[in-house]
Amino acid sequence: MIPQLVTYRQRRADGRWLRLYVPVLPVLLVLSPLLVLAVLGGLVACVIFHISPVGALRGAGRLWCALPGARFEIQDASMAVSVSVR
Amino acid sequence: MNEQRHQILQMLAEGKITADEAERLIAAVEREQPEPPGAALRPKTRPKYLRVVMNSEDNPGGDGSRLNIRVPLQLLRAGVRLTSLLPPQALTRINAELDKSGVPIDLAQLKPQQLEELIDHLDELSIDIDDALTKMRVFCE
Repeated sequence: MIPQLVTYRQRRADGRWLRLYVPVLPVLLVLSPLLVLAVLGGLVACVIFHISPVGALRGAGRLWCALPGARFEIQDASMAVSVSVR
Repeated sequence: MNEQRHQILQMLAEGKITADEAERLIAAVEREQPEPPGAALRPKTRPKYLRVVMNSEDNPGGDGSRLNIRVPLQLLRAGVRLTSLLPPQALTRINAELDKSGVPIDLAQLKPQQLEELIDHLDELSIDIDDALTKMRVFCE
């Protein structure tokens, strides 16, 4: 299962929360031209550094699919940031 | 066990034993069958996440610092598998630098399977660090 929604929350100076809900699939579709370029660049880098491109793609895919459920919350005094992947 | 049960049912069908006797025999066969080792000890659900929780009160009376990280164990496994992609020349350089820093570990000897076993056994991990102002906990859930 690939990530579907990334939630970013940040506490502002006035104590109010800024919440950003990022739907992953639509954003990926919008950025797909850049994504293709990035993948091509990665494949070229794999060839230069003698890394198996297929293995790298598979590994990156596994990492991507394992992301749902990850959550990071950091709070320091009045500053707070939270990122969660669903 | 299925074969023994089949024999009992066959004897019942042939009229050699009664239904009560067949029932008793089947019960005895089931009792003789030992449980697989560790079946009772194995937890029903395996942990899915590695949690790191830290609470710090640097300024008494203030909000302090708080850290709460939840990483899926599957993500750790995927990351560990990526190490198998490291090219040999990179491993050689890493080993040389580690050796220079006083950590004589040969990463080329570290197999992905061993690393995965390490991740598999993380579910039994629980680390608690209590300081006067800071409490930290690493565990799996």
